[in-house]
Amino acid sequence: MDIPAAHTKSWPRRLWEFGCSLKLAIVLASLATLLIMGGSLVMHFNPGVFGGMDRQTMGVWLPWAWQQSPHLVWWVPLSGICLALLGVNTLCCLIDWILTFTRRWRKTGEYLIHTGFILLVIAYLWGSLAGYRSGPHAIFPGERLDIPKMPGLVLHLEEFAPRFSAQGQPLDMVNRVALWQNDQLIARTELRINHPLLYDGLVILPTSLGQALTGFRFHLPPRGFVNLEAGSRLELDNGTILSIDKLLADARQTSSGGIIPLSDRLGNPAMQVTLLAPSGRSWQGWYFLRGRPPAAMVDAGALLQPIEPIFRTYSLLTVNRDPAGKLALIGSLCLSIGVVLAFFSFYRKRSRGDRPEV
Amino acid sequence: MFKNLLVVLFGVYLAATFGYLVHTLWRRPVIARLSLLLVGAGVMLQTALLAHRWWAAGYLPVTNLFATLFFFSWSLALIYLYFELRYRIRATGLFVMLLNLALLGGALPRNTAVSPLIPALDTPLFSLHIIFSFVGYAFFAMAFSIGALYLCQVRLQTDLLPDLATLRRINEEAIFLGFGLFTLCMVAGSLWAHIAWGHWFSWNIKSVWSILVWIFYAGMCHAKFVRRWQGSVYAWLSIAGFGIVIFTYLGIGLLLESNHPLE
Ligand code: HEM
Repeated sequence: MDIPAAHTKSWPRRLWEFGCSLKLAIVLASLATLLIMGGSLVMHFNPGVFGGMDRQTMGVWLPWAWQQSPHLVWWVPLSGICLALLGVNTLCCLIDWILTFTRRWRKTGEYLIHTGFILLVIAYLWGSLAGYRSGPHAIFPGERLDIPKMPGLVLHLEEFAPRFSAQGQPLDMVNRVALWQNDQLIARTELRINHPLLYDGLVILPTSLGQALTGFRFHLPPRGFVNLEAGSRLELDNGTILSIDKLLADARQTSSGGIIPLSDRLGNPAMQVTLLAPSGRSWQGWYFLRGRPPAAMVDAGALLQPIEPIFRTYSLLTVNRDPAGKLALIGSLCLSIGVVLAFFSFYRKRSRGDRPEV
Repeated sequence: MFKNLLVVLFGVYLAATFGYLVHTLWRRPVIARLSLLLVGAGVMLQTALLAHRWWAAGYLPVTNLFATLFFFSWSLALIYLYFELRYRIRATGLFVMLLNLALLGGALPRNTAVSPLIPALDTPLFSLHIIFSFVGYAFFAMAFSIGALYLCQVRLQTDLLPDLATLRRINEEAIFLGFGLFTLCMVAGSLWAHIAWGHWFSWNIKSVWSILVWIFYAGMCHAKFVRRWQGSVYAWLSIAGFGIVIFTYLGIGLLLESNHPLE
């Protein structure tokens, strides 16, 4: 009696054939497609949960989002599993294919396309688990930034020169930076939009710019104009020393007299001022610049009239690390070269009638 | 001047489409040949217009809806010519040119001005991303047309259209070439995202749907090996695939908001 072939196969053999099955690939790809289609709409209408997806790696974002709203997020790991299984499926096909096909070089293009996809799946998983995204970090020219999770690696912003359009919109952020590893220079380069610094999986790129209030320009009769910022000292005509202890861009005074900083943006600016008279008598208090100076200041002759704020521009830099970036690049190269070669083999296969059927 | 030439171009394609219609209804091969000539003339004019805009702007001007519709229409007309000259696909031209008219008609009332290139788009990766994307889309549009005509041919069995086997072959070819070019578009886009945002895949809705387009057509490259799917199922899948393409290209921009740099 003839026994059907399928029944004579051992289970590892059957498992392998299942892993290599094109039908499994179609089921997995269809499932992933349907899940992502629906999920993309969930994403769009729930920016509170999904809006920050690009600010974190998947490995950081997913556990956070899962805790917040598992009912909105479940499709992400599920479609990830489908795509990862599709990667395994593709790998099985590739191995099976390489082992069974003769004249393999003819199908180099197809091999490369499949290899590229497998590498990209691995690179995404690896990068999601071992990489990080940080920033934007606010840095003033001359300041240094310790690169996260890479001890000894420091970025020095040597110069920052944003470029603006005639209408005043920022066009480009030119950052002259140097990367140091334990006082040894690794790279010195200019960061601009689309021109990041790439080093050991790191991507350092300019994101935007900001302005921080550093002081105010005042008119002080009869002396004229003076610039004051936190730490400034000024000797008044009667010998009293006026010093600025603190400067807040936006503050509020509570009913008990305490001062609460509200934000870094210019709103209701306030200065903490100390007056030290030649007699040794001193006074300390807050001066809200939108009002008149306190009586103690007026008595000491510090009749300051604010003219304009003084800002200092800082750069906002993003620092990301993806240790799998090179692998993804190799995957992309495999895909690209594979596609070009497959363009030729498609017609060759067609003319030879070489075509698998299931 | 450009707007006038655009109207002339539309007129040329309209006349070609009308010629194909006449041929379909009354079988006049001479008129079909004349229509093909008109499409050829239209493609030449459109190529010249595109080249002039490119030269004048100093970069491939595909940064707004007018420009992408114009580029899409040019790619589709060019691809139609390729298939027509290679396979003599005859009355198929009517369907493809109607689609082309819809694209160009959508572009006509829009602002044709070329805006200065912002630094974020000032990279060859951007041009490659766009060129591969729209030529890929045009192949998918071609596959959609052939798929629809395949279903017509199943019912009509007319000699106005190529036989089912030829339609199937053309459909498979369009999908394979479209997938290949769209793969190159995705690679260029990922490289660009890496240097522009610091990560090579972004979870914005346009990128997510582009991945869907890619997976869908990768699946289509294999679906042709499934014997039971080789006829009408494959044709229906080509139509569905183009639905995904249109949603990715137009639907997201018109119905939803996206932070993709080209929105
Ligand atoms: C997303 C992942 C995949 C991509 C992008 C992909 C892409 C491709 C492409 C472009 C072709 C060439 C088609 C042609 O010549 O007409 C192809 C062929 C093929 N693929 Fe895939 N594929 C993927 C996954 C898979 C999987 C999972 C399997 C196995 C189950 C598989 C098995 C095959 C086979 C058997 C061929 C035919 C090769 C031949 O001509 O002999 N592929 N694939």
